[in-house]
Amino acid sequence: MFNPILTDEENYALTLRELYASKGCKFYRMSRFEEYDFYAGKKDFLSSGAILTFTDIDGRLMALRPDVTLSIIKHASPGKYYYYEKVYRPKASGSFREIPQCGIEFTAPGASDLEEVLRLAVMSLHSVADGRKCVLDVADAGLVAQYIPQDRKALILQYLSAKNIHGLHDINAPAEIIHLAELSGSFDGLTGLEEYGEEIRTDYSAVTTLSYYSGLVFKGYIEGIPEAVLSGGQYSVDGVSGVGFAVYLDAVTGGKSE
Amino acid sequence: MINIALPKGRLGEKVYGLFASAGYEFPGMLEPGRRLVFVNETLNMRCFWVKPFDVPVYVERGTADIGAAGKDILMERNPNVYELADLKTGICSMAAAGVNGWHDDPSRTLRVATEFPNIAREYYAGLGRDIDIIPLRGSLELAPVLGLSDVIVDIVETGTTLRENNLSVISVIARLSARLIANKSSYKFKGEVIDEMIRRLPQ
Repeated sequence: MFNPILTDEENYALTLRELYASKGCKFYRMSRFEEYDFYAGKKDFLSSGAILTFTDIDGRLMALRPDVTLSIIKHASPGKYYYYEKVYRPKASGSFREIPQCGIEFTAPGASDLEEVLRLAVMSLHSVADGRKCVLDVADAGLVAQYIPQDRKALILQYLSAKNIHGLHDINAPAEIIHLAELSGSFDGLTGLEEYGEEIRTDYSAVTTLSYYSGLVFKGYIEGIPEAVLSGGQYSVDGVSGVGFAVYLDAVTGGKSE
Repeated sequence: MINIALPKGRLGEKVYGLFASAGYEFPGMLEPGRRLVFVNETLNMRCFWVKPFDVPVYVERGTADIGAAGKDILMERNPNVYELADLKTGICSMAAAGVNGWHDDPSRTLRVATEFPNIAREYYAGLGRDIDIIPLRGSLELAPVLGLSDVIVDIVETGTTLRENNLSVISVIARLSARLIANKSSYKFKGEVIDEMIRRLPQ
């Protein structure tokens, strides 16, 4: 399996691509750039509002892609896709970085697709974990949206994603939100995933934004890697619904030296 | 192995006192000297002293699984970590203070001296007040007295230093105390040990 010519990142990407292709997903390649305006109107969907821009030959303001999902929604006909692309986002150091992502998107998904995506998420974690333990945190963003008060939305979301339950009590957050924050244990929101047991867990700290995310959201972790290596969820953008996730290959390879 | 980052100084010593009373002792932690890392083989834990501002960095990057940090530092740095418990020690507040009798002139940009530029920026943005940050490292009380700034945004414990320099609190921005933070990934895989620690700590 391991090809010595390829870098760790390329080897992991190859493993993931083989997995997604074996499940009948089609490869999606981004060969062009989007206009800046395309992303500017959907900054809430992106993990950061910062977008790297350049001017095209005809004077249009273009962007180096901060995300692949939006392009798949815009250009591809409904279906199951996987991709391996570099995205451009600012890192904690303050400057833009090229971040390798490998992921899947199911646009206009059918009834059983959500379960399949969660299954693929756990399989993706295992295929890059080198035998280490993995966990997929799952939460229903729709429930949070239902109970969160609009006036304190940002602060409550911040506390929810930080498991800051004493903070939620201090600001008198709704009891339903505190209840969600306290939930733990294996995820039982979908049938057919029982075989994964504690590997798929209910954990509402996975909810970091509510814009565009209307259903389940999830984050994946591998033991020994300090940050989430997988992130995704069910979304609805410009009338197109979908579900998908991305594996952050920089995080996966970054944690390897430990 | 659980790695614990504690802030060097008074707050860290108070937090270590809580840990020790809950049965998490690291021999030599409080002895004067230059040693920074202490291991308790029985507990399978390692504890180290770091600069208070650096605790969230160690925890976010996973070098420490858990740590104790003042809420001031968490508000200033906004790290991507779990804030699992309020340790209710080192209680004080973040406040804006000015020379006694000072009144804000909204037609001018407010000059704010602080060690916490992000907290100050966010607080005054919430008030819709335009400010100029003057970053200082300590002895902030001097700034308004000498006319370097109009106000300061700083930690206020008893208010004695403010009073002695003819300053008073204009508004309290946040109540502060030490918080127990955890690396998000560490908590997934070592959550049981971390939860047990929190249960045993006096709260």
